[in-house]
Order: sequence, then structure tokens, then C-alpha cells
Amino acid sequence: MTITTTESPAAAPRRGMNILFSLTLIGLLLALWIALGIGTASFWTPLNISNLLRQGAMTAILAVGQTFVIITAGIDLSVGAIVGFSTVILAWLLQAGVPLWIAIALTLLMGVAIGTFHGFGIVRMGLPPFIITLATLTSLRGVGLLITNGSTISITNEGFTNFARADFLGIPSLFWMVILIAVPAYIFLHLSRWGRYLFAVGSNSEAARLSGVNVNRTIYTAYILSATCAAFVGVLLASRIGIGNATQAEGWELQAIASTVIGGTSLFGAVGSVHGPLIGAFILATINNGANLLNVNSFWQRIITGLLIIIIVYFDQLRRRGSR
Amino acid sequence: MTRLEDIAHRHDEASALLTEGSRVPAGTPILELKGLQKNYGYVQALKPATITFLAGEIHAIVGENGAGKSTLIKLLTGVITRTAGEVLWCGHPVALSTPNEAIARGINAVHQEVVLCPHLSVAANLFLGDEVERHGLMRKRQMERMAQSVLDDLGFYLPAAADLGSLTIGQQQLVATARAAMRGTQFLIFDEPTAYLTRQESAQLFKLIRRLQSEGVTIVYISHRMEEVFELADRVSVLRDGTHVGTRAIGETNESELIALMINRSIEQIYHKEDIPIGAPILEARGLSGPGFEDISLTVRAGEIVGLYGLIGAGRSEFALGLYGRHPLSAGEVHWMGRKVKIRNERDAMELGIALAPESRRDQGLCLNLPIGLNINLPVFGRLSRGPVIGRAEEAANADRQIRDLAIKTPSRRVPASSMSGGNQQKIVIGKWLSHGAKLFIFDEPTVGVDVGTKAEIYRLFAKLLKEGAGIILISSYLPEVYELADRLHVFRGGRLVGSHDFHAATHEDVLGEAIGV
Repeated sequence: MTITTTESPAAAPRRGMNILFSLTLIGLLLALWIALGIGTASFWTPLNISNLLRQGAMTAILAVGQTFVIITAGIDLSVGAIVGFSTVILAWLLQAGVPLWIAIALTLLMGVAIGTFHGFGIVRMGLPPFIITLATLTSLRGVGLLITNGSTISITNEGFTNFARADFLGIPSLFWMVILIAVPAYIFLHLSRWGRYLFAVGSNSEAARLSGVNVNRTIYTAYILSATCAAFVGVLLASRIGIGNATQAEGWELQAIASTVIGGTSLFGAVGSVHGPLIGAFILATINNGANLLNVNSFWQRIITGLLIIIIVYFDQLRRRGSR
Repeated sequence: MTRLEDIAHRHDEASALLTEGSRVPAGTPILELKGLQKNYGYVQALKPATITFLAGEIHAIVGENGAGKSTLIKLLTGVITRTAGEVLWCGHPVALSTPNEAIARGINAVHQEVVLCPHLSVAANLFLGDEVERHGLMRKRQMERMAQSVLDDLGFYLPAAADLGSLTIGQQQLVATARAAMRGTQFLIFDEPTAYLTRQESAQLFKLIRRLQSEGVTIVYISHRMEEVFELADRVSVLRDGTHVGTRAIGETNESELIALMINRSIEQIYHKEDIPIGAPILEARGLSGPGFEDISLTVRAGEIVGLYGLIGAGRSEFALGLYGRHPLSAGEVHWMGRKVKIRNERDAMELGIALAPESRRDQGLCLNLPIGLNINLPVFGRLSRGPVIGRAEEAANADRQIRDLAIKTPSRRVPASSMSGGNQQKIVIGKWLSHGAKLFIFDEPTVGVDVGTKAEIYRLFAKLLKEGAGIILISSYLPEVYELADRLHVFRGGRLVGSHDFHAATHEDVLGEAIGV
């Protein structure tokens, strides 16, 4: 291709477009809330709002972890299975008499181990992320079912099971957990060099490598963060439902990926943020919540979610093409 | 059916399948480009060009790499859409906005890289998208028979039932040409078709081109081989740096005029080698072997440019990557400032003070869809961070300094690297390493696809680095460049060092001869 340099007028910087996209998402969320407030009597009740925040919280945390992986142009299909498996591990440890904090720490460490395994499969064995995490998805469910023998383990620690129902400063504790995750995640992705390396690896791993970026370590980091977020959500879910059950959180990986994509993350890598997936998760939670309030058949919720993904990603594509 | 009847029948079939010729009388304009122009972001890939193609002519287009030939083909075949200008097809304005539109109008191209399906048979490829069917089922045997008759009729002697991938590149090219000829093509573009062909295959191709011409097809023939242009073409248009600099009837021009139109100013005209004192050795490679290179020994001293010349695939880039720790070395020693060192990976190399501006900006040099600033800062984020957090002011200052110092033409460091021209992209790659601060710079093909002005800037930058006490390894396939710039010139062939010469100690012919192996 021929190349000649020409003096051209300044183009709109990209950052402006990103803010525009975030505002659009927030606008969509607010529009949904206003519409549901008008359409239903029960939407703006404290009970429903805290319910909504609880519903959205767990998807939101999964979506943040998923975002790290997707920015490196990978995918983590295992997060739903890790959530279910974590409830089993935690309940099992508690049943065996392990103190609560140690049980939680061990569950999170197990998340780290699963993420490390994913990194190993991708970096050392050269497996595609889709395959290695798909394999984990199915086998973790199997291991969980083996441990519980297909049934559930009850959690008797009341302090723990009350946590998910508790409020702090009038806001559900689960939502505080989103903030607990989101703030360090934001610093990591947007303010630290490790975040920059995620983008660089997702954009062009060879260029990143030749620029001195430790590509392998970056990939390990992304999958460990995603799996650990999922294990953390498993702890929260165990608290919420009070049992350990390997079949919990079925299909949550798709919810997480959908939130991430709605939040402006590109499945081709190198494009994404922390706040986008958070908003995406709460948009999905609002749709589910609103559909329940409006007595819409729950099957329709799935269809609406699908349409929403198509519409939002399509408009995002148009926007990107337009900015060329 | 007797054998004779069979042959006659097959000949009819072949003729029917082959092109029907042009609807426009020969010698009148079939395709007119009026101020045709293409910009990519800030880059003018094709400046307004006005070229007329006459029905039934063979029109050659010549120009150096990066002159705009590919852009022109992509515009004519509807792969990309023009930024401005008008295209008249048989006198009527047309959009040519999709490949299908171009094909429907009878415009086809045969590309240098064959774009067919290697796992399908020759016949299947010839009929791809146009299969012969009965009751919704493919008539495989009939297609193979028809394909064979076409190939025989063209004198190609290729088996229609063989997998395309089992043929040589040259044979595949002939299949691609036959395919275009079968599609009622009126306007056929050849993009450097002989690059991979043997002499015999070239001769077959030329015969086919003349036959198509005799049937009224207009041919555009893109090449930088002068002898082919003079053998085939009726008229020739010259492109240079995205500009259409002229069209000549072949009888009214000669080789030297075309070359004068084609070439850019030579190296001596844009850069004079400065006298820079040469200091102590920075790097000594002793008998290095690795994937793609064997037993390479050379020394780089402070203040000198060591040139590596060779054909593509001679092992120069592989050697550079091996030295840089990208691939493991299987033998040899590296001495850095007189001390034996082990470079296990890229980070070891960087820490010593080696910088690599790699061969391919797109694949190795840049994160294209990320901002310029991020690309420049990528090697130095560690230095720009306090604790885990990057200093935003330092980040901005470092990027802006490189943008200013290297005169990278961008409105902002936030613009993605992909919107920059080749020259500016190369400056971004260089900027990365300037802020890192290295002692040894490896530049692999730094001026490919770079405009003249930027070339001169890059050469001046070399001199500046040398004066600051750095050493440079310059890899180039453009002989005048290494010849005029390098204090010492090493020639690679087949992964080995086959010649080493001091500045101007050997002639161009000697060096080229060593590289080719004659």
C-alpha cells in the first residue's frame, strides 16, 4: 500500500467516544428504571430495589473478571461452573468444621488454582481459551456432583448466611461487594501498567512481547483474576442460598459474557473497561427484574437479552466504523 | 461418440465456457478514471488519478513498491471504495462499491497471491460459485470434464481432478486466470502475475493474455519487470508515491524514461553519510546459531552501522530475533561490552540495552488499534509507574516528547496507531525505543512503505544515535540503503554469512551476486 504523509485536521480523540458510549449505557439503564417506575407500582419500592441490586451484584462481579480475559482476546466459559463448584467446596469445608474465614480463603485459593490451570493450558499446552475453559466447565460440574453425590450440602453457619441478606448504610451487602471488587479492578485495569499490558496483549501479543511485556504472565493474571472473581461470587451465592450445590449458577458464564459485551468490550480483544460491564450487568438484572414485575413469561427474558446484545453490539460497531 | 467427435464437442464446450469478449468497440474507452482518489485516515494512498483504459488494449501499470498499484486494483475490483473521483464504465458513471458489482460488470483480477480454495479440486475451483447442477445436486463428473476441456483448450495441461493445493503456485495462478477467463470477463487485471512463475509458465500465461486480448478483453498488467511490459503492453501508466505521473504509448517510450518516472530520489540525494568516530565494541556475536540462521559472527561498535543484506528469507530477521532473545540460540556466544552474557528472552535483551524495531510493523511492531501514546510507552511503563499506578503526567509527557522529537504527524497521542501512515507508524516504533534508551538498535527494514521525507528523517536519526555512542544493526532488502549507510556490510544467504565488506569496498554487483549465490 502506498503511504504518503499528509497534514490532516485533528480527528475527535477516541476517549470522547468512549465517554459517549458509557453515557448511552447509563441513559439506557435510567430509561429502563423510569419506564418500569411508571409501568409498575412496585418497582421503586425499597424491597425491589435492594432485590435488583442483589440480583445484579453477582453477575457484575463475574463480568468484571470476564472483562480482563476478553480484553486479552480470550474467553472464560468456566465461571458459572466455578461459582457452583465454590458453593460446594465452601459448604463441604464448613461441614468438616473448618473455620469460616479459612474456608473462604481456601475457596478463593481454589479459584486461583483453577485460573492458573487455565493459564497453563493456554500458555504451555497451546490450547485455545475456548477449549480449556469449556473443559473446566464440564469437569468442575462433574467433580462437584461427585463430592456432593448429586445432592446439596446445607450451610448451618447463620452469621454467614445472614450476610447476603444484610444491609449496610441502607445498601445491600452484596452491592458493597461489587464496589469492593470494582474499585481495585478499576485501578488495576485503567491506572496500572498491568492493565495496559492486558490491552497490549489483546491487541498484538507479538508486539507486546517484543516490547518487553511478559505475555505469559499477563495471560496467567487475566485467567486467575477471572476464576478468583468467580470463586468469590461462589462464596456470595453460598451465603445467599445457604447450601452448596454443584448445579447452581447454570449459564451464568453467558450472563457474564453478555454483560461484558453490552458494556462495550470487544470479543476481538483490546477494547473494554471496568464500568461498562458493571452497567451491562445491571441492565440485564433490570430487564429480568422488570419482566418479573410485569409478569412477562420468563422465557421472554432470554429472548429480550439476546435481542439487546445484538442491538447494542451492532450500534457499537456502527460507532467504531464511523470513527474511522 | 468417436474420438474426433469427442474432441470437436469438447472444443465447442470450451469455447462456450470461455469469455465472449467486449461489447465496446476496440480502441474506444471502456473504463475511465477521473480524479480517482483514496485516503486511509490521514494517508493519501492514491492521489487524484485520471487514467483511461481502451477496450481491447493491454495496459501496463508500473511503479515501485508502495506506489499505489495495489490501491488502484482494490478500487477497480470494488474491494475498497474511493474517497473521491468518478469512474465511467462504457461511458456511464458506476459506483464499483462491492466486489460483486465489479464482477457483474465483467471486471476481474488475478492476484499475485492466489485466492482460491486449495483443498478443492481444480474443477471445483473453476466452477466455484457457478456449479453445474441437476435437481439441486452437483454434476461433479460433468464439471471435471468441462474444466478439463477448458484447460486443454488453453494449453495448460493441468489435471482438472487434482486438488488445487497440490499444484505449484505458478500452476495455481494459471487456474485463477482460466477461472477469470471463464466468467465473461471484459476487463482483467493481472497483479504481478509472474512473480512466482517459471519461464515456461510465464510463456503460457503470456499466450493466454494475448488470446484474451484477441477476443476483445481489456487487460491491465501490473508489474515492475520492464522486459515484460515492453513485450506485452500497448500502453503503460506510471505511478509514484500514490501519484499518476504519466501514461505513454509503448512505442513512444523506453526503459530509461519509465525508470526515471518510477523511481524516487536516490539515497545520496536525501542523505550524506557523516564521519562519525567508531568506538569500542558494544556487541560481539560469536558463531550464533538458531532457528533459520547458522554460525553467524559479527561485531557492532559504538558509532557504526552494521548492514545486513540478503534476499527475503536469507535469515537476517531470524538472526535479529535470535539475538534479541525471541527464539532460543542453539549455539554460540554473545559478548556485551566485553562481557559474556546470556539472553534468554526479550526482557533480558532490553535490560542490556538492545532495542529491536522489527520487520513487520503490523504483526510485530505495533498494537495497531491502541493509542499512539500507549504504543510509545509500552516498554517503559515500569519506569513511568510509582508503585502499581502509572503516573499520568509522566505517561503523557513521555509520549508527547517522542511525538514532538520525531515529528509524528498526529493530532493527539490518543489516536490509534492504525490511522497513521507507514512513515509515522515507523516513527512510533522507533519512539518506543528512544524513550527506553538503548545502546544497540536493530532496525529491520525501517524504510519499507515509508515516504521519502520520512526516510531522510530516519537516516538523520541514525546519525544522531551514532553520535550519542550507540551502535546500529540495519537490515534492509534495498541494496542502495545498506550500501550507502553501513560502515560494514554483511551478506546473508540461506541462513549463513557469505560475505563481509567495509564501506564501499565491494560493488553493488558483488554484493548482489553473493546474496543470490552466483
